[in-house]
Amino acid sequence: MSMTKSQRRHTFSAFRYLVLTVWLTIVAFPMFWMVSTSFKPDREWFAWPPVYISENATLQNYLVVWADVSEYAVDETGNLETVAQSLQRPWTALGNSALISVISTTLTVLFGSVLAYGVSRYGILSEGRMFQLLMLRMVPPIVLIAPISIWYSALGLLDSITGLVMLYFLTTLPYAVWMSKSFIDEVPREMEQAAEILGASRMRTIWEVVLPLVRSGLVATFLFILILTWSEYLLALLLSKTAVVTLPVELSKYQGSTEGRVYGRQAALSVGITLPLIVVGLIIRKHLARGFSFGMVRR
Amino acid sequence: MSRIELVNLRKEYGNVVAVNSMDLTIEDGEFIVFVGPSGCGKTTTLRMIAGFEDPTAGNILINGEVVNEKEPGDRDLGMVFQSHALFPHKNVADNIAFGLRMKKVPQPEQARKVKEVSELVRITHLLGKMPAQCSGGESQRIALARTLVTEPSNFLLDEPLSSLDAKLRRELRAECDRLHDELQKTFVYVTHDQEEAMTLADRIVVMNQGLIVQMGSPMEIYSDPVSYFVADFFGNPAMNLVEGEFVAGASGLEFHCSQFNIPLPEKFKNTAPGKGSLGIRPENVTIGTTDGGASINSEIELVEPLGKDTLLYFGTEAVRPFVAVIEGTQEVKRHAKVDVGFPDEAIFLFAENGDRIR
Repeated sequence: MSMTKSQRRHTFSAFRYLVLTVWLTIVAFPMFWMVSTSFKPDREWFAWPPVYISENATLQNYLVVWADVSEYAVDETGNLETVAQSLQRPWTALGNSALISVISTTLTVLFGSVLAYGVSRYGILSEGRMFQLLMLRMVPPIVLIAPISIWYSALGLLDSITGLVMLYFLTTLPYAVWMSKSFIDEVPREMEQAAEILGASRMRTIWEVVLPLVRSGLVATFLFILILTWSEYLLALLLSKTAVVTLPVELSKYQGSTEGRVYGRQAALSVGITLPLIVVGLIIRKHLARGFSFGMVRR
Repeated sequence: MSRIELVNLRKEYGNVVAVNSMDLTIEDGEFIVFVGPSGCGKTTTLRMIAGFEDPTAGNILINGEVVNEKEPGDRDLGMVFQSHALFPHKNVADNIAFGLRMKKVPQPEQARKVKEVSELVRITHLLGKMPAQCSGGESQRIALARTLVTEPSNFLLDEPLSSLDAKLRRELRAECDRLHDELQKTFVYVTHDQEEAMTLADRIVVMNQGLIVQMGSPMEIYSDPVSYFVADFFGNPAMNLVEGEFVAGASGLEFHCSQFNIPLPEKFKNTAPGKGSLGIRPENVTIGTTDGGASINSEIELVEPLGKDTLLYFGTEAVRPFVAVIEGTQEVKRHAKVDVGFPDEAIFLFAENGDRIR
């Protein structure tokens, strides 16, 4: 039996929602599990059958990890106090992470977009050069560690905020250039020329015409790079493990702790790492929808 | 008093010559139209006048002063773009006021001028809207207003109507004409549309492959084209151009082609035999009556009534059918055999290289 056009359209749409639902489940389940685990008391961490939503929900994990409340750490297993004392530095790590990622992302987007403007309007980098720039990202970061360690130790940049900022700036710059270039390319050249012939200077044109049109795109670029930097682990671990600890590195310490796998604490810390990104995303969501959908400029 | 002079102006992109040593003086208050097929160099010329492209050689003078080194904003020009190029994040009033703000005109005067100019182009009802809420025709009016408000002595218009539909195009064409009439400023207009050129221009500059092919009033260009290219470009329906051969016959020069042979008028008697083409405008072809000139008997293969006029097609198997225009009131039948006349004074001859034979 053949379907009518509208039946076919409905079937297709039902199929699409099915696929999206499956995909969403796969993506969202770990997040759900993280949040759920962070509220579980320790005996439910490994429980079988698994506990999806704990009936004995507790803030204990959060208090131990984030509030350094040792008295809450005393419970029947007896080893939580040690955990709390040996690993209790998440706020410092949060501060380090925030400082490093915000500074490096700001620098990257600033320099990257200026460079991208030059590429888009003046062709200061050939297409070949642009791909070479992207190729930088193809190098496995780990192979860079040896040379960078040597130079950093000579320059006294090991285990420093400056060192990480510099490295993140350089490794994320290609993304910033490529992304912001795609947004700048969207602004028709004629729009700038219209401003120019009406008497606007080059800087004035960029400020009044180009910037407002690419703002959403730049915000999207900023968030994308902020996420990369915020959750970067490998370089942070290898270049700065004692004085300057970032959140991902802090989290990894729980994984390797001698007291066994303290999943609830890890989950509580993970929530703390994820939350700031979600908050930032919510604050700038107006820009994100526009920025990621491209082509806001009507030609 | 404003005058634009192009002296030996040349533009090359790598090996490609876009504009080839152009000399032209545009007089104060003139409405001049650059017309030609795409790639003929007309837009490049306009963009050089505007200052968006640097000439490879030659000079541009505005009001007697060489402006090659001046920024676009300092050249006493206004420009309207094909894409309107309105600022999508500013409302219509702010778009129009932009140039005034750049020139640091005091606020109250800005407001007054914006109001004045929007009355001139009839868009006062749009001032509070965003460009995205305006139609294509409205957008082009806004773009005009944005340019008009700064009161430049010269207006450059780069295919301003080509993104609009036919009806709007006619409407805004009339608007451009009216504005030029009212302002008495110099308009330099670029288009690939021969009809726009014919209706708007005081003077048409026909360009092809970077060169000026012919320059003159619309009627001069229409009635006295210098080459096959110009003859072919102007007129709708286009001139009938038939490829063939000039042959010395018993009673003078004759034109032979695959479909007909006709004797040529007396004035061409000194033309050398050889390959070439014959041209005649569809409206000059006579049907049925043959007063003075050659005629052939041919079958009407297609009849296209357009209301006021009717188009008759002959020889439709050729690359270009032969067309005649008759009054819409005249009664004709498809497949009827009629006498197709070539009045002597309506015949154009072109040499094989495209040059006009007089």
